[in-house]
Amino acid sequence: MRKLLNLSVAALLLAGGVYLYAEDEHEEHEHHASSFVAKPMSKQEKATVLLYQKECGACHFAYQPEFLPKRSWDKTMNSLNNHFGTDATLDPSDHKTIQNYLVSHASKNDRMTGMGGEIAMRISETPNFKHEHREIPKKMVTQADVKSFANCASCHTKAASGSYREREIRIPNYGSWE
Amino acid sequence: MKYLAIVWMFSMSLMAASPEVVQYMNELSKTAKAENSSFSGFDAARGKEIFTSTHTGKQGKPMACTSCHTTNLSNNGKNSLTGKVIDPLSPRANPQRLTSTKEVNKWLKRNFMDVYAREGSAQEKGDVLTYIMKN
Repeated sequence: MRKLLNLSVAALLLAGGVYLYAEDEHEEHEHHASSFVAKPMSKQEKATVLLYQKECGACHFAYQPEFLPKRSWDKTMNSLNNHFGTDATLDPSDHKTIQNYLVSHASKNDRMTGMGGEIAMRISETPNFKHEHREIPKKMVTQADVKSFANCASCHTKAASGSYREREIRIPNYGSWE
Repeated sequence: MKYLAIVWMFSMSLMAASPEVVQYMNELSKTAKAENSSFSGFDAARGKEIFTSTHTGKQGKPMACTSCHTTNLSNNGKNSLTGKVIDPLSPRANPQRLTSTKEVNKWLKRNFMDVYAREGSAQEKGDVLTYIMKN
């Protein structure tokens, strides 16, 4: 059963999805996993994901687009000339491809309730993220091996493949998160 | 004839940049000459100065190319904001470097903006590429 679960998760990740917020106790239930049907990516979609990972991942973790809603990605992509204080401009064709990818895979939920009308530019500003990380002591995040909440993969060991399960967490110099 | 071809291929490999990037530098050279009649070719020493000197960057703080790339271009660098590791800039240490005009163009524009808060001139771009090629 565990094998089947892992296979389903792997298939989901290959389809470009994100395996989010799964509490470890839920992971043991087969119905939870078998409900996922992975759609294989077309050649073009794979190329788009690779382009996104190459371009955006050159400077920082390539966040899965599912973490922010459309209006956040639009705001981000429309201000790449001043992207968190740096010039992150792209050539027009790549810019269009990446913006389309982000917007079409964006979160369907607004995710910004309680932000007083602000459009989130950082995933770590969203109420859901704050809630999920509310128990993490600041020193674990600001330490040199992590730097900030922007570096998902510092602690979420499978973040690059879109998996953020609790049992995969290894906080540098502290270990797993119980 | 065959001998000439071998010599040509050998000299291309010594240039440490792909034919596409060499072509791009030839165009930069023409622009530099048009902008400055006393221009007489790119210079690695000027490029080194551009690369290693500190300026007020886009964020209004002191910044140099070496803030992220370090002073040893054969070593990995580190993005000073995110901490992400940057592959070596030297084409000798990293054969992927200076192989794509699109990449070279993109990073020169971005990084001049980040460090100098303006775009580089054709001469400055050529100088800094010459410096990178020789390191």
